[in-house]
Amino acid sequence: MRTGWFCGSSGERLDEVMAVYMSAGRSYTGLSQAEIYCHGGSEVVKLLLDQLLTSGARAAEPGEFTRLAFLNGRLDLTRAEAVAEIIAANTETSLNVAREHLSGAYAEHIETLRKALVEILAEIEASIDYPEEDISPEEHRSNADALSQLISTISALNKSYDSGRILREGFKLVIAGRPNAGKSSLFNLLLKQQRALVAPTPGTTRDYLSEWIDVDGVPVNIIDTAGLRLHSGQVEKAGQQVARQLVSDCDLLLWIVDVSRKRWRSEARSDLSHLKVRRRLLVGNKIDLLTKSLEDGNSDSDELIQISCLARRGFPKFVQRLARQVHSSMPDLTSGLVVTSARHRQKLQTAARQMKLAARLLRCHESPELVVFELRLAADALDEITGKIYNEEILDQIFSKFCIGK
Amino acid sequence: MTEPDYDIVVVGGGHAGVEAALVAARMDRRVAIVTMDAKRLALMSCNPAIGGIGKSQLVKEIDALGGLMAEAIDATGIQFRRLNLSRGPAVWSTRAQADRVEYTQFVCDYVERTEGIEIIEDIVDGITVRGGSVAAVQTVSGRQISAGAVIVCSGTFLSGLIHIGEEKIEAGRMGEPAAYGLSESLRELGFEVGRLKTGTPPRLDGDTIDWSLCQPQPGEVPIPFFSCRSPRRQFDQVPCHLTYTTDETKRLVSANQHQSPIFSGQISSTGPRYCPSIEDKFHRFPDKESHQIFLEPEGNGTNEIYPNGFATALPRDIQKVAIRTVRGLEQAVITQSGYAIEYDYCPPSQIKPSLETKSVHGLFFAGQINGTSGYEEAAAQGLMAGVNAALYLEKAPPFILDRSEAYIGVMIDDLCTRTITEPYRMFTSRAEYRLALREDNARDRLFRYAHKYGLVESDEVEEFSTLQTRTNELVALLEKKRVRVADLGSAGERFQKADRVSLANLIRQPNLSIDEALALARGFDDRFQDSYEPLQRAAILIKYSGYLDKQQREIEKFKRMEGLVIPDSFDYRGIVGLKKEAIEKLARFRPSSLGQAGRLEGVSPGDIAILSVHLKRRGVVPA
Ligand SMILES: Nc1nc2c(ncn2[C@@H]2O[C@H](COP(=O)(O)OP(=O)(O)OP(=O)(O)O)[C@@H](O)[C@H]2O)c(=O)[nH]1
Ligand SMILES: [Mg+2]
Repeated sequence: MRTGWFCGSSGERLDEVMAVYMSAGRSYTGLSQAEIYCHGGSEVVKLLLDQLLTSGARAAEPGEFTRLAFLNGRLDLTRAEAVAEIIAANTETSLNVAREHLSGAYAEHIETLRKALVEILAEIEASIDYPEEDISPEEHRSNADALSQLISTISALNKSYDSGRILREGFKLVIAGRPNAGKSSLFNLLLKQQRALVAPTPGTTRDYLSEWIDVDGVPVNIIDTAGLRLHSGQVEKAGQQVARQLVSDCDLLLWIVDVSRKRWRSEARSDLSHLKVRRRLLVGNKIDLLTKSLEDGNSDSDELIQISCLARRGFPKFVQRLARQVHSSMPDLTSGLVVTSARHRQKLQTAARQMKLAARLLRCHESPELVVFELRLAADALDEITGKIYNEEILDQIFSKFCIGK
Repeated sequence: MTEPDYDIVVVGGGHAGVEAALVAARMDRRVAIVTMDAKRLALMSCNPAIGGIGKSQLVKEIDALGGLMAEAIDATGIQFRRLNLSRGPAVWSTRAQADRVEYTQFVCDYVERTEGIEIIEDIVDGITVRGGSVAAVQTVSGRQISAGAVIVCSGTFLSGLIHIGEEKIEAGRMGEPAAYGLSESLRELGFEVGRLKTGTPPRLDGDTIDWSLCQPQPGEVPIPFFSCRSPRRQFDQVPCHLTYTTDETKRLVSANQHQSPIFSGQISSTGPRYCPSIEDKFHRFPDKESHQIFLEPEGNGTNEIYPNGFATALPRDIQKVAIRTVRGLEQAVITQSGYAIEYDYCPPSQIKPSLETKSVHGLFFAGQINGTSGYEEAAAQGLMAGVNAALYLEKAPPFILDRSEAYIGVMIDDLCTRTITEPYRMFTSRAEYRLALREDNARDRLFRYAHKYGLVESDEVEEFSTLQTRTNELVALLEKKRVRVADLGSAGERFQKADRVSLANLIRQPNLSIDEALALARGFDDRFQDSYEPLQRAAILIKYSGYLDKQQREIEKFKRMEGLVIPDSFDYRGIVGLKKEAIEKLARFRPSSLGQAGRLEGVSPGDIAILSVHLKRRGVVPA
């Protein structure tokens, strides 16, 4: 058993974890196996899981561990008797959960994707099994087009995974900036209570603070962080590491700058270049200290939102901008097309990857059996979400669409 | 117990029956073929051709397992060519036109020369079962022939009924009587019997065809023979011709559609979608104005032509007029009318992967009785049934090929897991491991079995291992040999950045055929002057290498599931958690492995998980 840091692909520390290694024959499955115990709630777990999946791990199928345990003779007769019932129930439940999720628009959508894929497969298979029926180059091109369309649909669906997460876990808003910029002041204002300590000395906030507010009906998790010093070569303090991590996982970053500082523009530019975030708003605080007003224009790409926490200026506009951002990252709830499971997302990614390979082969006029090879793996991936594919099904398609056969 | 008259009785002397008898005789069994006419073994009752896409792979597998079909067509073919050459080698498929009279003659001679096979001219109309095992067959002439095992290969003869317009003729093939008693006997034994339909086009007098209006399709040179052991004879190949139906054909056929038994309701059984009648084609694809018709010669000694694509059951007088609307057939004379034929089959959920019936020990079914169509499909089953009947008599475990090893495995597994609703024909798309199941590697896949069961001579096996070694050497050489891109001519244009490139890399380029790449390779190195076969085999392995590796991983996954055997006697009732539909399907098909169970429609992955748990438990409890 060891403790240590779970690091991301670029070496950033994600969580302090405990890891247990079990050699073959001593684990539940009988295979050599490792377990990782992490802190925190589903957020961290999700983060680590995602990291594992992107580095090549595979999510277990329902009941897979128990199946492995059986296949490796780890469960003896009496335990098997007992566990069999439980597994049966478990598998059934997990299947039901999956089925439930698969009812409605989401299922229909995946099913549509699969049908579209099977249709393309059938066309290409027809060209192999019935070469005399000469299938024209236009048809091949239309297959390639149909494939690209499928790929972009799947990519969009994959993006919904993030929206799905917001739906389950709330919208995560992180307030960050240099020390003393007024982060805690803004946090308190949004919360409408004096929750965070505000003081004129830089470095007042050392750990982070997390609270919930309501932005136009969306639950938003606001987090106040320790001031970041991205420019200095100094060793970061623990609070700053946490802040950095929080910034990289958030749905929206509010980067606070003190516009009374002379060089705030270039500082902001360089700070932001150090951070990788999907969405951010640049908030200029302490405008009450300025003698002449700032131009409303852009500082590079970011539009500056001007406020004063002390004088309570600029707030209506700020809140409006914030709400717009929150809403634009929310999934379209009416369509229901939300991927919520990491396993589904992984399958969808596999499907998309296989289709891209196939599309590339189609484009360079590679032999159709190879295109089919890649597409079948894509279909298998989709099947693992919805059900099963049968070759019969492809044949049915061939026969219903083309007049073939002598 | 007295010695039976024969070890094995084969019912029917078609393509399945012949392969079954030959292979069983080779395994030192005393065999009798009971058939109506000893002179008409392995008759080509429909299309005078062997092979084609998906089917040629079967023929090569039959050949690798010591069967006769490939040798027979090589000896009597009048035109050979490979289809799909513009695609990859996994889907290259050889097809040959046969001289149908000579083909049958060749097979008859071969069977006659084979020791241990006796031909009895008679019709089987009953099967006797004693204590759950097959004991004998009875014939219409009143004979009782006892046997240790019986293989039923009755083709379209079981209660065959021919339809031409409103005309109905009881026959197994045109001009030959149908067999009735056997279906009845099978029903009495508890078998479920269903009905299928197939059709055939009219035959034409070649002298009445205007060939100048048709497009000739010549044979391929050098001749692509099927068998690895037949002599490479040289001869002038006979061309086929391609022509098209006209607007007038469409009008006429559509106007008379109601007179076809297929539409009038006279035939209720399902026909194959892949080989539809001409009236079906115009009906189902009203947008298509014209259909291809291939004019195929039936042999050297005859002028008879088989218009492939014009199967029909329209009344005779309409056939006469309709055929004359096809380009080039304006004056054509029909020598035999087209017809549809209905026949009995036994839904193959009743057989095991060994082709033995689940309910009667020692009784095997092969060919059309299992719902398949095609000579190649029948022959392949016949061969497997023959081997397994012999093994059954030795009380040895059966010979079963899985889906990753052979098209034969794909076909039999499909039969054992799918509900057949139309005659089953092989397609390459049925094989999920298609890239690994090729014509060129049939022996790599199957020779060890052929050797194990004594189906091929051992010097043949040795000779082949030399070829395998040479293939591997060539693969290494082609990977190693690098040539200047500038020396590749136009083929080098695809390498923009590189200066040198390995020949293997050249072979892997899309849009460059293996033959083109090899022609270049030969120019670079004397070591590539081998005959075509080893070089081509090496190039194919290189071309597919990445894919084959990927496929191998899929195959391993598949094999793990296939390895989880479900005992024959397994009782699915009362298993907690299994859905009702799954239990019904499982009980009906009685799959032999967990993998096979998973392929049954209506059985979900969840059901399989539950089943695997119970199996494991069953395995722990001593029975
Ligand atoms: N003049 C002026 N002062 C402000 C404004 N907002 C915050 N301040 C002051 O700036 C100082 C720092 O404010 P905090 O909110 O603690 O700043 P912080 O970014 O949280 O600082 P650290 O936690 O130390 O990184 C306090 O003295 C605030 O009163 C503003 O809009 N105008
Ligand atoms: Mg603070």
